[in-house]
Amino acid sequence: MDDIKWLQGKGKLGIKAFFQDILNKGLIDSVLMPAKNKKGNSYAWFLMNKDGFLETSDPIPPVMTIQGANILKNMTKKGESWSKTAVVLRPCELRAVIELTKLEQINLENIILISFDCPGAYPLTHYISGDQTSFDQKFDSSLYTASFETERNACIACNQFTGQGADIQLCLLGASDDGFMISASSAKGKELLQNVDGAKADNIETQIKKRDELMGKLQKEKDEKRQTILDRFKDTIYGPENLLNVFSACINCHNCRRACPICFCSACYFESKALNSEADNQLNRASRKQGLRMPPDLLLFHVGRMNHMSISCVSCGACEDACPENIPISLMFSLVGRDTQAVFDYKPGHSLEEPIPFVVYKNEEFKESEAHYTKRHQSACNCNTK
Amino acid sequence: MEKIYDSQMKSHDFIKALFEKKIVSGLGTLTQLPNNKGVSFSLLSDAFDIQKCMPFYPIMPANAAIAVSKLTRETSPSQPVAIMLRPCELRALIELTKLKQARLDNLILISFDCSGVFPFKDSKYPTDTMLDSYYQSIKEATINNNIRQVCSGCDHYVPVGADIAISLIGRGVHETLGFSFGTEKGKNIQEKMGLSQASEIQPANLEKLTIERQQNKDALKQNNKISNLDALLDVFDTCISCHACSYVCPICYCKNCYFESQTFQYYPENYSQRLTKKNTLRLPIDRIFFHLGRLSHMGSSCVACGMCSDVCPVDIPVSEIFKAGGESIQGVFNYQPGQNLDAPLPLVTYQEKELHEMED
Amino acid sequence: MNDIKIVAFLCNWCTYTAADLAGTSRLKYEPEVRIIRLMCSSRIDPVFILKALMDGADGVLIGGCAPGDCHYSKGNYYARRKVAVAKKIAESMGINTERIRLSWIPASEGPLFAEVVNEFTEKIKELGENPTKKEVYL
Repeated sequence: MDDIKWLQGKGKLGIKAFFQDILNKGLIDSVLMPAKNKKGNSYAWFLMNKDGFLETSDPIPPVMTIQGANILKNMTKKGESWSKTAVVLRPCELRAVIELTKLEQINLENIILISFDCPGAYPLTHYISGDQTSFDQKFDSSLYTASFETERNACIACNQFTGQGADIQLCLLGASDDGFMISASSAKGKELLQNVDGAKADNIETQIKKRDELMGKLQKEKDEKRQTILDRFKDTIYGPENLLNVFSACINCHNCRRACPICFCSACYFESKALNSEADNQLNRASRKQGLRMPPDLLLFHVGRMNHMSISCVSCGACEDACPENIPISLMFSLVGRDTQAVFDYKPGHSLEEPIPFVVYKNEEFKESEAHYTKRHQSACNCNTK
Repeated sequence: MEKIYDSQMKSHDFIKALFEKKIVSGLGTLTQLPNNKGVSFSLLSDAFDIQKCMPFYPIMPANAAIAVSKLTRETSPSQPVAIMLRPCELRALIELTKLKQARLDNLILISFDCSGVFPFKDSKYPTDTMLDSYYQSIKEATINNNIRQVCSGCDHYVPVGADIAISLIGRGVHETLGFSFGTEKGKNIQEKMGLSQASEIQPANLEKLTIERQQNKDALKQNNKISNLDALLDVFDTCISCHACSYVCPICYCKNCYFESQTFQYYPENYSQRLTKKNTLRLPIDRIFFHLGRLSHMGSSCVACGMCSDVCPVDIPVSEIFKAGGESIQGVFNYQPGQNLDAPLPLVTYQEKELHEMED
Repeated sequence: MNDIKIVAFLCNWCTYTAADLAGTSRLKYEPEVRIIRLMCSSRIDPVFILKALMDGADGVLIGGCAPGDCHYSKGNYYARRKVAVAKKIAESMGINTERIRLSWIPASEGPLFAEVVNEFTEKIKELGENPTKKEVYL
């Protein structure tokens, strides 16, 4: 059963007041949260203590500059944080954090995860080269209704838009300028929330009901939309020719890999000596196929990366934001992720207790993937394998 | 000044002749991708559809020196392979050879005087109008408006050290090609192709063009000058530490970049101390320092090809800054990257009496 | 007062020894300097100098054997080139190059070490604290 309080205050201002409050009370030592950059035309992550809380901080920025899970990974990979830190993350960043924790890249000791109902985000290049003031206004006005329209593919196809799984959730959907609900589901979260002065909302039951209804409706809409978008995308890339078409613009910069929170390997296989080969070898490949695109193994990189990380892909879209050629790579990986995750009925980022499928097994499973090794065995054996 | 010979061939005929006369068994150049979806550098055999070769197409999806390094890092080809490169790609290849990341044996280096490339972000698939205007600017020896900024300020646009240098400027890409054969290898090919007695072409007057490019270079330097900490912070304010600039850079060849190594993965103590000192800590920590560090490691070999600016997802003018920074480092040692295979890299050599202004 | 910190990269055989000698001779020199010992001045990577300045060091002093007298015969020649690169980059990136100093201080010259440190510290105090120390948007 979640602990729920009602905080007075308008949207982001209310949220910032909440953080100022818990910092001042010493309930946390520091907060990790986005804030405007120096020029004010983008956002950046800031670690702030009580005396350093920025006026320009923004818990729900209209862009994802760096995937929050990567920042938290940098901070805690070498050991647990020395100070009790609250981190504000988008739902997809939260899911990436859960996956990275399972992959032993993040240490959640001393970290309180806070997430929110996310309307989506602008594509990064789009935001930086456009009119930020009007972008900000449009975004902020959709915080209560999730009516935000964007061209960011990952957000258009997103159906996991609440902060479920965090220690504390900021419930803006269905709220108003008077205030919003804040709920805690874990022991850590509940402990923090206990000492927060929430206003007693008599209509909290009504608030909850209103939000649940809105969420139910949105969830259904977004589930269908995601299905449609991914199916439609699948049609456009099906078959080697179509697949190559999508990747014709790819310049092999590997930005997608570096932006991806799940791709944490500092020495990526596809950048290692394993893929070096002798000159004559490459010339042979070129003459077999008449030509060889250089550097070689461009498609191998993408397909191989799918193999390595699609099972944990949280569809955050950081890859597409980073791609200099606007390849719809987040849709590609979401599509493949949907299928590979379904094989194990695995939901990346949902639970710390759900192990990543590649590190566990059952004694009997996937009989459909097995084949008899001889015809004689097949006729002699009475198992169900074809 | 090498003589320029009229080959009586256009580019496709030239490529065909290279294969037919068994001068090469492979060719590296830009080729058209299927469905008119841009170009890519490819390694070709004689069976390739030569009509798809576009050696002078004004797009650089990647610095071709990286492709040549991938080809020859482990071994050289056992048969001659011709590589068609822009001057900056050739210079980068020479630097990579000095850095032991590429080998030049059995490679025939073909370059041409370059009129720049379009930034692939804005002009991924240039329209026919854009292309026509570009080819016109080659013919008229003028600077096209749509090319990369660093291209417009490049005064190393005539190749040095190529086995065969093609003269396009003032002539155009649709005419028969004019060749200079600057090396022994090149002169051998001249003979094999039967061009020893070919008629000569008057070289185009590039003086005006060079002056204009030098003026652009000075303007770029002025416009991108960083004079204090505030300016440095402003320029790199939107940087998201993606390191794409390093990855596409031909000179940054390190598979395990120093700035991504364990040295820069900090312990919790470090974060705690910094936060105590500053109260507000922008993350990730070495965001701006990465650029200074990268410049210090590769600046002496920077060929100002412009790939870094092109790939930056937040449009930071990295190549303009690194061009100026690189040139100022190179100026200290009077070093010209990529012009001379025998000139040692500045940081692996020294003179006993030099740089007195640096010491006391 | 102000919290000036100067990072000094000193070569083990010459300048570090000179610093020791200054100490045993009870010579007074400004306390703001923080010494890091390198076996040879050529161990310096321009990155060290730039990192120190970006992380808030107010000055960086590099000390080595005089040219021709390097314990490893040629190291200091390379060091001089690397410091030149670091200074050029500092210049290109808007960092005051007066915060970087390269001094050749032989092992027997304790008083010279004290003099260089005092001079450099005074210069740095004049220049003031490095703005990167307090800069939030770094």
